[in-house]
Amino acid sequence: MHDFNRRNFLKVAGISSAAALTGIGCAANGMRGAEKAHIVVVGGGSGGATTAKYIKQFSPDMRVTLIEPNATYYTCYGSNWVIGGFAGMDDIAQGYDTLRDEYGIEIIEDRVTAVDADARSVRLSGGDRVSYDKLVMSPGIDFRYDDMPGISESDAERIPHAWKAGSQTELLRSQLQDMPNGGVFVMVAPPNPFRCPPGPYERVSLVANYFKQEKPRSKIIILDPKDGFSKQGLFEEGWAEHYGDMIEWRAGSSGGRAEEIDVSNMTVLADSGFERVRADVLNFIPAQHAGQIAHDVGLTDDAGWVPVDQLTFKSEMDDNIYVLGDASVAGAMPKSGHSANNQGKIVAAAIVRELAGQEPINPSSANTCYSLVTPDYAVSVAAVYQYQDGAMAGVSGAGGVSPSGASTSFRRREAEYTRAWYNGITHDIWG
Amino acid sequence: MKKSHLYLVGLAASLALAGTASQAFADDEITRGQLMAASCKACHNAAAEDDGVLKLNRIPADVIVSQMKAFRDGDRDATIMDRHAKGYTDEEIESMAGYFSRF
Repeated sequence: MHDFNRRNFLKVAGISSAAALTGIGCAANGMRGAEKAHIVVVGGGSGGATTAKYIKQFSPDMRVTLIEPNATYYTCYGSNWVIGGFAGMDDIAQGYDTLRDEYGIEIIEDRVTAVDADARSVRLSGGDRVSYDKLVMSPGIDFRYDDMPGISESDAERIPHAWKAGSQTELLRSQLQDMPNGGVFVMVAPPNPFRCPPGPYERVSLVANYFKQEKPRSKIIILDPKDGFSKQGLFEEGWAEHYGDMIEWRAGSSGGRAEEIDVSNMTVLADSGFERVRADVLNFIPAQHAGQIAHDVGLTDDAGWVPVDQLTFKSEMDDNIYVLGDASVAGAMPKSGHSANNQGKIVAAAIVRELAGQEPINPSSANTCYSLVTPDYAVSVAAVYQYQDGAMAGVSGAGGVSPSGASTSFRRREAEYTRAWYNGITHDIWG
Repeated sequence: MKKSHLYLVGLAASLALAGTASQAFADDEITRGQLMAASCKACHNAAAEDDGVLKLNRIPADVIVSQMKAFRDGDRDATIMDRHAKGYTDEEIESMAGYFSRF
């Protein structure tokens, strides 16, 4: 037994040294070249931070630089808990110390203002340039205020979108706190596609939870350009059970489509001008497209999103640029933090393998999304994705939403898992 | 009895691997099973363990395989793992199961 193990060991060792001598180990040599490669990641959100971390996990000697303007990143997921008044900003704050100190990722706290794809370098706001072998961009979303007459980006100080977490989250929270009992909270929901499909409906749920406790005569109206939304049946079941008729959802084909916002009168014009909806607190979530830098670099399509090879998330426009997360066109995968996290692992593996001269892996991926209807009642949607016929597609028979009519204890367990999910995914990304 | 025995074997294997865990990713070519297992880490890691989400690095590969199949085939109660498990073939489950001990 002992001899057998020893012989096996020698045999393995022999193959390794022979391979190194004869050059059969070209893959290993390729890896060595890859170890010196410089990967620059633009954007420290779920997609960018995951990519940076997993490149270092897969290939610790590779040089990775993460460029992000904010020292503290506030996750959009969990921001509805702050708006609902049962979590603080600290609970959704993430930083880059672990990525820098434990994973050896270089962190540059700055904004990328331009990309020179031919020279393979990015320019920072101060004018400095950082060169790359491969560039990863996870720029998230920006808003299309031009699509809505009457309102512009500068009005967000009065009419928050709160669709990027941070000061906007705090602003909406404080407006809700200042609103009198009996007031009307109006949300103008965005058209598809947009970041976090169930997010608007979780938000009104948790605002309703706050109103029910503190301002029970208040009313919530959702003006929606769409005729349906994510987890709709489950939300409506939860709303009826917990909030009675406090929440009114108006579908696009039933007068829900906002056509203009009268900012000075805090009024939304809808239903071909027949309907004027006045708000005490107005949450306008604009139509969205890829983060501005993706447009500036010329990576976007006519719809304003970034087409990629969904096998690797390499841009269709540039062979050395990968784009993932909300900005990318990712087939059936929703624009969610969980999707971005999973895509980050695909991108990390694709870059390490490409630099080692290996073919890309046919990826499998997943999404898990919990929404709180109350702090103790959650519903979820899950999906598994595989690359098929050029796009990430849902695996048939898998995934789906929580059962309707489930027990209180089932909903409570999913609420506990909601917090577990947050702690888990943020640890996987920034921890 | 049998289960706890398996658990101990798995634990011993994990401990034996622990010294080389950080190199394990780097030395090998990244595989599809490894990438699928990495996907699970979004939820299944040390930070979520206190909330009842299992950290999978101490679970032996054969237990992961049997439990994933049980979730998939409706033999084990779940809130969400049944919906995930239905997305994987036997071969895929087996290909990812061996990687959790390296996390």
